[in-house]
Amino acid sequence: MIEYSDLLRLVEGECSPEEAAAIQAWVAADPARGELLDQVRALWRLTGDPSRPWDLAGARDRLLRVRGRHAAQRSGGLPARSRATGFLRMARAGPLPVWRRVWVASPWVLRIAVTLVLVIAGWAAWQRGAPPVPAREYVTAPGQRLAVSFSDGSRVLLGVASRLRVPRDYGVRTRAVELEGEAYFVVRHDPAHPFLVRTAHGTTEDLGTEFDVRAYREERSLQVIVAAGRVALRRTEGADSLLLRPRDRGVIDAGGTVTIISGVSLKHYLAWIRGTLQFDDAPLGGVLAQLERWYDLEIQTTDRSLERERLTISFTTAAPDEALSALARVLGARFTREERVVRLTSVRPVR
Amino acid sequence: MSEPSFRPRSWTPAPASPRTGAAAWEAAFATCYVELCEYVLRLVGSAEAAEDVVHDLFLQLWDTRGAPGQGRLSRPYLFVAARNRALKYLRHRRVVAAWIERASQEQAPLVDSPEDECLRRELDDAVQRAIAELPSRCREVFVLRRRDALPYDQIAARLGVSLGTVKSQMWRATVRLKERLMPFLAPPVSAKDRPTYHLF
Repeated sequence: MIEYSDLLRLVEGECSPEEAAAIQAWVAADPARGELLDQVRALWRLTGDPSRPWDLAGARDRLLRVRGRHAAQRSGGLPARSRATGFLRMARAGPLPVWRRVWVASPWVLRIAVTLVLVIAGWAAWQRGAPPVPAREYVTAPGQRLAVSFSDGSRVLLGVASRLRVPRDYGVRTRAVELEGEAYFVVRHDPAHPFLVRTAHGTTEDLGTEFDVRAYREERSLQVIVAAGRVALRRTEGADSLLLRPRDRGVIDAGGTVTIISGVSLKHYLAWIRGTLQFDDAPLGGVLAQLERWYDLEIQTTDRSLERERLTISFTTAAPDEALSALARVLGARFTREERVVRLTSVRPVR
Repeated sequence: MSEPSFRPRSWTPAPASPRTGAAAWEAAFATCYVELCEYVLRLVGSAEAAEDVVHDLFLQLWDTRGAPGQGRLSRPYLFVAARNRALKYLRHRRVVAAWIERASQEQAPLVDSPEDECLRRELDDAVQRAIAELPSRCREVFVLRRRDALPYDQIAARLGVSLGTVKSQMWRATVRLKERLMPFLAPPVSAKDRPTYHLF
């Protein structure tokens, strides 16, 4: 319930983005509330300068740190060879509405199984002396995605060829899940029951947020993309954690090295949610692995020269043949397909 | 990532000779960060989100520093760019249209004129009187919050009262002060009276 006194929290900025949105909606519903808010704000301006002690020095440090990384990313991230002709504009224009959570209504034709799962918070069961809920496991096949809702309001979109395990004690003290593959999390924050995503290379802890975790076994790394809010990233061993903010990309590689890049494109990293596969100057190997997962294929390349290729390409189609021909066009290659097995061969020498 | 292209009607040029690159960026950050946060906070209502918006703005300015365009680190530009980012943020969060409308009509803070300075002193007296006339518990809470910037829970601990009491006393103080100072609380400027920059 929102009360008049909540206007103070809005004026002072003492709320999370979610709470702010709720109070804003409440204010917008009645012009009288808006007028009152304006008066409170005016009063705040009269009775002292800033509404809160802003941390100028901290913000400067953060920016300086990020700035360095950002600059490094920009200079190092340019494609080795521009592939202007190869860039396929198959994706519909317009930014990806990350906050529009229409996962299921997406026009994408991949099989998306939707289940509503009530993982009863463990403590409720425990309080009533009922037996704890069994562990649950959600598995997607290649080409399949799965939307899972928890009873605490949190939601997960599980990517292709992924596995999400929800242990029996989910919600008892923590809400820890285990992930192999990729998933997008929209977590209902609850400081008393922290939401944790455990993967082989590290743990991601929600601090009130939406984020993407990617940890395919064969990639031997963990990648976390923050869309909104805050996330804490920890190595599997070791207690020190790093704070990630919106548009941060945190990676823990096989050696345990943590890299954080700020200001990444959410549109790019979260394209899969809308059913688009997007690659930006990506090595062919990674592109093929992802196509295998998305279209349930086994792709073989015989041509060594192809493996050095890096490409910028996006796929929105559900038909594997269409995707493969697009890829072949960009690569200047030819493909043959028999059932699941695809052979990719170069037709002209790479310039 | 389009920043506004606009021509403000007038503004006071920066006193120092135009600097470029890192030094200009630093100067703009040091002088405008807090004000921009305050301004964006008004639009988005969350300090966390406000800091993120301003943070992103400065990051983008860093990436494009040295690019042509003299006014890119000027106050008017920063405020308009910050506002556009705040509105974009609100749209992303799908905040009700009425709120976005309100936010888009907010006026960027202007430089105080000498008249403002004069009025300010008169106001300060009135404000101090009004605060002094608050009931004592109310005043204690209000001063700890507004002057000493203590968080609510610390105020509760210090005064030995509940968090709920602190909140209700704060609100009571607000309502009282509002009544007292009503003549000074300028009615919001209507959209028509404002200089308009066409940004969208």
